[in-house]
Amino acid sequence: MMRSSNDRGNGTTMKLAVSLPPVEAPSDVQASADPDFALLARFVQKAEAAGLDMVLLADSAPAAGSDTSKRHVPFEATTLLAALATVTSRIGLVAAASTLAHQPYNLARRFASLDIISHGRAGWNATMVADPREAANFSRPEGFSPDDFRRRAEEFIGIVQGLWKGWDADALLFDQHGGRFFDPEKMHLLDHKGEFFSVRGPLNVARSPQDTPVLVMSGLSEPDMDIVARTADVILLDEPSVAGANDLKRRAIAFGRSPGAIKVLMNVAPDAEMAARPDVIADRLEESFRSKSCDGFNILMPPLESVLDDFVDLVLPELRRRGLVRSDYRNATLRSHLGLVEEEGQ
Amino acid sequence: MTAHQMKLGAFLWATGHHIAAWRHPQAHVTAGVDIDHYIQLARTAEAAKFDMIFCEDAAGAREANVNIASQTSRSIGFEPISLLAALAVQTSHIGLVSTASTSYNEPYGLARAFASLDHLSGGRAGWNLVTSASHIEAANFGATGLRPHADRYERAREFAAVVTALWHGKPDGASGLGHDGRSFSVRDALELPRSPQGAPVMVQAGASDVGRDLAARTADVVFTAAQTFEEAKAFYDDLKGRLAAYGREPDDIKIMPGVAPVVAETESEAREKYEELQELIPDDVGVALLSSYLSISDLWRYPIDGPLPELPASEGMQSRQALVIEQSRRDNLSIRQLARHFAGARGHWRMVGTPAQMADELEARFEGGAADGFNVMPSYFPGELDTFAALVVPELQRRGLFRKDYEGRTLREHLGLKRPV
Ligand SMILES: Cc1cc2nc3c(=O)[nH]c(=O)nc-3n(C[C@H](O)[C@H](O)[C@H](O)COP(=O)(O)O)c2cc1C
Repeated sequence: MMRSSNDRGNGTTMKLAVSLPPVEAPSDVQASADPDFALLARFVQKAEAAGLDMVLLADSAPAAGSDTSKRHVPFEATTLLAALATVTSRIGLVAAASTLAHQPYNLARRFASLDIISHGRAGWNATMVADPREAANFSRPEGFSPDDFRRRAEEFIGIVQGLWKGWDADALLFDQHGGRFFDPEKMHLLDHKGEFFSVRGPLNVARSPQDTPVLVMSGLSEPDMDIVARTADVILLDEPSVAGANDLKRRAIAFGRSPGAIKVLMNVAPDAEMAARPDVIADRLEESFRSKSCDGFNILMPPLESVLDDFVDLVLPELRRRGLVRSDYRNATLRSHLGLVEEEGQ
Repeated sequence: MTAHQMKLGAFLWATGHHIAAWRHPQAHVTAGVDIDHYIQLARTAEAAKFDMIFCEDAAGAREANVNIASQTSRSIGFEPISLLAALAVQTSHIGLVSTASTSYNEPYGLARAFASLDHLSGGRAGWNLVTSASHIEAANFGATGLRPHADRYERAREFAAVVTALWHGKPDGASGLGHDGRSFSVRDALELPRSPQGAPVMVQAGASDVGRDLAARTADVVFTAAQTFEEAKAFYDDLKGRLAAYGREPDDIKIMPGVAPVVAETESEAREKYEELQELIPDDVGVALLSSYLSISDLWRYPIDGPLPELPASEGMQSRQALVIEQSRRDNLSIRQLARHFAGARGHWRMVGTPAQMADELEARFEGGAADGFNVMPSYFPGELDTFAALVVPELQRRGLFRKDYEGRTLREHLGLKRPV
């Protein structure tokens, strides 16, 4: 029997992500960046020790309205993910990367590679926000109309997911004696010719241990919902609403997916309240979760390690006591943490 | 004052540089999906005090014919920027250089990724600028096909100028970068602190006339392929001679040709090892590899034991085509012989011998003013990198030709390059 996300009573637990905090910019810009990375690594290792499902690495290049002199994290998100992958072993690592700043072939490759480096723990957060400032840095000063942006993003994501599936899981033979490195029947060209892109394939990175990186989507508006229902594995929403989550799952079913193939996570920013009233925070999370308005939460952390400590040391034990959070990783890949593996293949 | 010593790169590629490397019993056949293997290689190179590890790149398949591709190990591997980011935190000194194409990227994104890599590594990143010459890659980036050689280089020139400007930060008083050019427009300065080594090291590979000019204008290191001393020397003198026009000194650029060693304690052992690899090359794989570097679609139409036919001018890799034609005439080689020779090192200088013989030859090119160092291309991994590190490096150190320990922490310091202001 396939487990659906609705049998809460049968041990389905909430999914938990944290967003990585920015760190203070070094006062001496000549200094080695090591301390910054060490701080980030400690944060992620702590989140891993607590058994959280994944860490989300934000990225902006640069974000609209930002002050370039106050940039905090001196790393681009995908390179940071690769580095963090080598100092952790279980926690999922999701990096934001925009469809404006990349070509689909290059981005598909980068994430497929990150997925192999992390042994199946990588995810791509595709934001659906058409940032005019980003466009202006990527030779698109005129930007895109919302509608063009959406059609382009949908085509982009389709290409990326198609390239990720270009190699069957058993395509590589490594048959030294017979002289066959891979089975030609198990390699598939994409041969995509669309409105915005034309991509032949195949991807020059192998299939990953979790088949394909997890696709996380955020920054959504109403017209995006069909795209995410068709393509996303995880959806980040700002507003708690039963209608939102149910509506998404209904749309997913209409596209032939199981309702459990999509996990809806609510962005929450508990901040300083945590130390004072962990039980109140736990109540609030429990209520949202039980009312089926989401499958879990993305905890937005301010730039302080102590806030992660508060969540891990005070709120998490309370959620565990209530049986709302699993006690340890059962498996190695991000898909398995999120319960996406059992849901597939129907 | 640091001694006059050669620079060494460890060129990592798939299971090895020999086309049949993956079939060798001592090659790590799953290299393309094994990050720990790469961490180990980087640590080996670092322990041997190499200046850098170097990764090639292509944004697409290597070979259009899937049957031929399936007999090689080069259809899959790591994307090099993510690979180097992983290696950055697993090593402490060695430089980390990756190839990336100006034809299929945007300068803002690439400048950012390399700046990030420089921060992650504490100042050890480098970018090898290539213009890309393959039709298969082009087909992943639109319907227009491979752009002409001259157009690719024009785009590359603008690309390099924008990346350099981004790395060097916005001019005082400027509100952003404000580049509005023929191929690119970029509004903002990079939103990252200045790179720990001032700017990542700029490497360039591409040796046609326009390629050399671009190198003279922008590169810190030049990677090139040259078989004979004379070829290497001519390239070296030509490129260094172009620097003055850009207000640069000869020492501002390190020229590092590739060298593919097959080394063993005795000469006969080395020859045996080489023959063992040569035995593993299927004819069609060898000819296909040669065809792709000659930018002609099918050499099969010609008798395999006959001479190389007259070739049309290439829009692909002009410099490599010229090198192969030159070799085929010089040594009077048939297509089969040329293909088998080419399969070992793709036209780079191939050397089979003892550590002393190898040190002699490297010394002669270095002291003879034909190279500032070498990009070492082991025929299979990890075995041949281990062997080079264990046998050849100590011999070079004994002769005072190579460092015994790192003098600094950044790649610029290793290479003796000025810190950009
Ligand atoms: C030594 C050498 C190494 C190269 N490595 C790469 C590479 O890793 N990836 C790539 O796409 N092109 C590579 N190229 C190709 C060049 O970027 C360029 O596209 C090609 O050589 C055509 O330019 P040319 O006629 O100036 O040589 C290399 C070229 C040379 C000479």
